[in-house]
Amino acid sequence: MKDTIILGIESSCDDTSAAVLRGSEILSNIIAGQAVHELFGGVVPELASRAHQENIVPVVSAALKEAGIGLEDVDAIAFTQGPGLLGSLTIGASFAKALALATNKPLVPVHHMKAHILAHFIDDASEMKPTFPFLCLTVSGGHTQIVRVDNPLQMEVLGNTIDDAAGEAFDKAAKMLDLPYPGGPLIDKYAQLGNAQAFQFSKPRIEGLNFSFSGLKTSILYTIRDQVKLDEQFKETHLNDLCASIQNSIVSILMDKIEKAVQETGINCVVIAGGVSANSELRKRLQAKMEHGWKVSIPKFSYCTDNAAMIAMAGKFLFESGVRADQSISAQARLAW
Amino acid sequence: MQKDQTKRWEHVPLESLSSVAAELVKLLSKPSFVAIQGEMGAGKTTFVQALLRELGIKQPDGSPTYAIVHEYVTKPGTKAFHLDCYRIENERDLAQLGLDELFEENAYFFVEWPDKIEKILPEHANWLYIRCEPEGELREIVLNYDN
Repeated sequence: MKDTIILGIESSCDDTSAAVLRGSEILSNIIAGQAVHELFGGVVPELASRAHQENIVPVVSAALKEAGIGLEDVDAIAFTQGPGLLGSLTIGASFAKALALATNKPLVPVHHMKAHILAHFIDDASEMKPTFPFLCLTVSGGHTQIVRVDNPLQMEVLGNTIDDAAGEAFDKAAKMLDLPYPGGPLIDKYAQLGNAQAFQFSKPRIEGLNFSFSGLKTSILYTIRDQVKLDEQFKETHLNDLCASIQNSIVSILMDKIEKAVQETGINCVVIAGGVSANSELRKRLQAKMEHGWKVSIPKFSYCTDNAAMIAMAGKFLFESGVRADQSISAQARLAW
Repeated sequence: MQKDQTKRWEHVPLESLSSVAAELVKLLSKPSFVAIQGEMGAGKTTFVQALLRELGIKQPDGSPTYAIVHEYVTKPGTKAFHLDCYRIENERDLAQLGLDELFEENAYFFVEWPDKIEKILPEHANWLYIRCEPEGELREIVLNYDN
């Protein structure tokens, strides 16, 4: 039997992406970013959906061309149904539906957050594939959650953020330090030169496996307020130490909860997903856990940020278990888990 | 934007946000528009979550920074919108977000970073200021409102 070929389409936030998967091998993964957002300091929904409209046809064509296949070779079309920004999602969903109608191919709706997790099963995602059951810490600009994964189709959210996402906490802290957008990677960069113990910020007092970052923000605000009274140049002169301390705090909040989840579930296979998995401190602290018996898998970064390869991979699992959508399906900004 | 009434709460610790929220919801008495000013980390989102709980939302969603708008149904027929305009930079694109149409609804609006959408803020907006006091971890909360 020949391997299944899936065309994946992703447009949940700022990047339009299309990918072709054969079996578990990615043949192409094209991502058209939207540099306009850097000019505006964030992802502005209307801008995002307009750019998706311009990008989607060339991006899908490029994905097919790079994979060296034609539309007739595709077994199913998988697309992101949600969650995400409605205007952006709608472009991908409408395009996928139209394409499915025109080519008479099956249509498979994919949950964006589940796809982040299933990206680990792409052939070249990582050296060590996770084994079921495992825990996934998904950390990005819009999401922070811990998910228990029993099989590709059975997952349960154990914890969520009650306020900001981890990536948002990085970006907002960076803003408080007058760093340009996106500030997260800059905090990581300056943190390399700083003392992570220089400043202590308050820790969230939140039960269970949920996350909170709003108290940390306030704590940073008060620290800056008090120190600037003593030294007007404080933010500039202590930038490295501030970045290192902030990064240490955010990563500690994440690590505390994932450690707790491991303890409570007895599952010690832990993977990460989402854009914040690029953070060097988070990677370091997770890898250190391998000496304590954890199995840790950190996928290739190109599969961590939003991409259609993960949509195609999730689409394959769903397609092979018989999931199909008809033309009545629509994008949902807050798609239920 | 002169308002008739001013209510001021001083030295508010984090634990008292919910009782201030309860008083504030009573002062508003009907669905109204509240523009919220305060710097990053002042506690705007946390305070709006307290307001939403007062309106009967058991588990408010997190920060709407990413999605810009979170919509809630407080009781049959009444809606509440939590907006974070932080990421809106550009007036031309603001017009296309359709917020001005949204603001015509008879609903509660709690709007963070309202200065980003100054051009389309309703005249009847009430103003809420959350400030960190110069000493200690206390806040001053001021509401300028019409009855």
